[in-house]
Amino acid sequence: MNLSTLTVAVVAALVLSAVVPAAAQTVPPGYPADYAAIIAAAEQEGAVAVYSTTDSASADALLKDFRALYPKLQIKFYDLNSTEVYNRYLSETAANAETADVLWSGSIDLQLKLVADGHALTYRSPEAGKMPKWAVHEDRAFGTTFEPLVIAYNKRLLPADAVPKSHGDLLRLLKEKPQLFAGGKLTTYDPEKSGFAFMLMTHDEKYFPQFWDLAAAFGHGTGRFYPSSGTMIERITSGEHLLGFNVIGSYVVLRQRKDPDLGLVYPSDYVLVMSRVAFIPKNAKRPNAAKLFLDYLLSARAQKIMANQATLFSVREDVEGPYSAAALAKELGATLKPIAVDMSLLAALAPAKRLATLRKWQETARAQ
Amino acid sequence: MLWLRAPTVLILAALVLLPIGIVVYQSFLDEPFFAPVARLSLSSYEFILGEPDFKRAFLTTLALAAGMTAIAVPLGAVLAFLVVRTDLPGKSWIEPALLVPIVLSPIVIAFGYVVAVGPVGFASLAFKRLIGFVPWNLYSFASLVVIAGLTHVPHVYLFSSASLRKLNLELEEQARVMGAPPWRVALSVSLPLAWPALVYAGVLIFFLGFELFGLPLIIGDPANVLVLTTYLFKLTNILGTPSYQLMAVVVVAMALVTLPLVYLQRYLLRIAERYVTMGGKGAQSRPLRLGRWRFVALAAIVIWLLVAIGLPLAGVLLRAFVSRWGEGVNPFDNLTLQNFVDLAEYPNLVGGIVNTFLLATVGAAAAVAAYALIALAVHRWRSPLVAMVDYLVLLPRSLPGLVAGLAFLWVFLFVPYLGVLRSSLVGLWLAYSVVWLAFGLRLISATLTQIAPELEEAARVIGAPPGRALRDVTLPLIRFGLMSSWLLCFMIFVREYSTGVYLQGPGTEVLGPLIVTLFGGGSLELVAALSVVNVVLVAAGLALALRLGVRI
Repeated sequence: MNLSTLTVAVVAALVLSAVVPAAAQTVPPGYPADYAAIIAAAEQEGAVAVYSTTDSASADALLKDFRALYPKLQIKFYDLNSTEVYNRYLSETAANAETADVLWSGSIDLQLKLVADGHALTYRSPEAGKMPKWAVHEDRAFGTTFEPLVIAYNKRLLPADAVPKSHGDLLRLLKEKPQLFAGGKLTTYDPEKSGFAFMLMTHDEKYFPQFWDLAAAFGHGTGRFYPSSGTMIERITSGEHLLGFNVIGSYVVLRQRKDPDLGLVYPSDYVLVMSRVAFIPKNAKRPNAAKLFLDYLLSARAQKIMANQATLFSVREDVEGPYSAAALAKELGATLKPIAVDMSLLAALAPAKRLATLRKWQETARAQ
Repeated sequence: MLWLRAPTVLILAALVLLPIGIVVYQSFLDEPFFAPVARLSLSSYEFILGEPDFKRAFLTTLALAAGMTAIAVPLGAVLAFLVVRTDLPGKSWIEPALLVPIVLSPIVIAFGYVVAVGPVGFASLAFKRLIGFVPWNLYSFASLVVIAGLTHVPHVYLFSSASLRKLNLELEEQARVMGAPPWRVALSVSLPLAWPALVYAGVLIFFLGFELFGLPLIIGDPANVLVLTTYLFKLTNILGTPSYQLMAVVVVAMALVTLPLVYLQRYLLRIAERYVTMGGKGAQSRPLRLGRWRFVALAAIVIWLLVAIGLPLAGVLLRAFVSRWGEGVNPFDNLTLQNFVDLAEYPNLVGGIVNTFLLATVGAAAAVAAYALIALAVHRWRSPLVAMVDYLVLLPRSLPGLVAGLAFLWVFLFVPYLGVLRSSLVGLWLAYSVVWLAFGLRLISATLTQIAPELEEAARVIGAPPGRALRDVTLPLIRFGLMSSWLLCFMIFVREYSTGVYLQGPGTEVLGPLIVTLFGGGSLELVAALSVVNVVLVAAGLALALRLGVRI
């Protein structure tokens, strides 16, 4: 921060505080003093529009707390799926129409595609220093959560000694006791219908050399494939499927609160971890309000809510709670394999490679 | 009248062709149409036509559409005949009950079937306990066709009943006097008379088969049944980022299906004017007596109601009131109201309910007014534009859910002056009204074709200006068509989801997209609870409407 920008910021803050009759919000502890200018400008903007794949119910605790923190800001929260977030933002931007101020989506690859295409604002968040390195991409894209991909199973129906403890275990079980899961008793994410699932598949290929044997074991009617974790969990708890592979852990723990028969295993060989990525589009109409919301998502205050009541799994290492990266690290250590928020993910978007991989999936997991 | 006719038809053409036009244009590009690098190209056609999956999906869709039409149209027609024309017992509750499938989102219906007769559904488990195995398999092409057929009987019913109510009763009366049994009257007299309505319904149901998404996704996909819409779903992701150009090609293929279909419709209706039935005379008459067949007919209807409505509704109801279900769970030990408590806490729910019902009542009425204007504008108009309207009307339905919402978003974003409609309830209303144009409009046209020209001519002869003839003669004569049209729009607007996904936002949220968002997020207990709330609200609205004198 040099002197002239500081002066500008201070002047701006003074001017704005003169315009706004009520005193501007106090700067959160540890933030630079000129943050007051951002707050004041955000309050002038009056609202922040968020396109999000986190459903309103899960995000509610965060939104309420954000409102308590900045009562003068209205949150326009759009509850969409990841394709809708992408399509809507891209179309609105192309038409120069008003769009989101923050894009917050679990489809890491689609988010990074937008960042790579130059849509993201570069912003040095005061919280960035507290974030793990892999979760921040060039001060443009920020991973906000730390959600493990787990094995979920039905405790009522799957004998305890048959529950696999790792990816290798699962493959062995399917080979040794194929009758246990015959007729669609196993479920996993559908890479044909969900780009997120495809991304998981490319990471499983990386960490588990026998992945395609596993895919082949899903074939011949053993596996059923869905485009969302929620559907998998519903069908596992009903007993239609005994076990689900690569289910998002945050949804599993949420459901466990209602249904004690839902079991969860962190695979002992490696645990993939996904992070909902947030960025501020360059053309955001309310960039200051967007900064407040982004900084809030990364703040210890919001992360604590994610680690506790929101069960979204906090990403910051300095935040404790039952659903936190810290707690997972204590239990699982180096087996945790977060999907890094970086451009290497875009390789999987190359059409030719992608089509070939999907064809392979059809020939193995979808084999009749 | 030309001053009214030509502008109406032109506005209609613009509203239909804008969203379709963008999609057709998109299909000939190699990038999103709004991208500066987009070039004209046939590469998307090459890709799609070279995909074996596309061919497979197209043929499967054709079979599904034909199968569901073959089931829904005859059953719907018979049902309408029984309810409208005979002394069938229990009519007063059958009529409202049979409309339930129209209110529920197809994905909710499909999920209801999973809870009822899926591999661990409550009915499946009961059979397993009784006879040791489950005698059916929900996940198959056959179940998909049967379920799609049975759940579309109500649509055909609405068409047929509106037209049967206005038949010239004397014709049936004469047949009866000659000693014809009821089935003979139905087959030889009523059926030919209701012909236009049945042709319209058949064409629409067949084409709706192309657009089905929720049922094939949930019931067909586990059995590897791929239809065009589920194929389209995969296309959103097949190249990593949503490939609009590929999706557009599939939509163009669907739009092309409307051409032979409308041609067939026009061919089948060529002779319709011979069946003008609403002549100068008309008398109230007794309903046909079914005699000992009364209870056979009732039993058949009850069985249909149980399969097409009872099963999925019971599944949804059960899911709404339990914390868990399935194999090894006694649902009665897990009864709870918690799902409704959670639902009540859902952000902006009340706003969503208010918006939805505003759209479904006032919006549907406005849509029907617009449809009626279009129907009257082309009524007895000898102009080549009328043929064009016939082809236009079906086109919006060729936009499957996944694309319709996006196409309308593009219309509002890229067509000058329409931007103000984006994120407004009016924009939602316009999109809904255009997408469901064929259904609402055809219900009205079917009743219009029944009116003999001499009725309007009589009014003109005694000196009534055209407006007066319209108000005092034509509109009262098509009132059943108008009411059915409103009712259908009311229910469809309550449940419509995909069209609204990209148009709604904070302040304009509606329930249909919310149900789909919740479904996607896996909160099926909330989906079930919300669907129950929907059905209860619609049933209350229906009861009120019936009391106020609306006839189905």
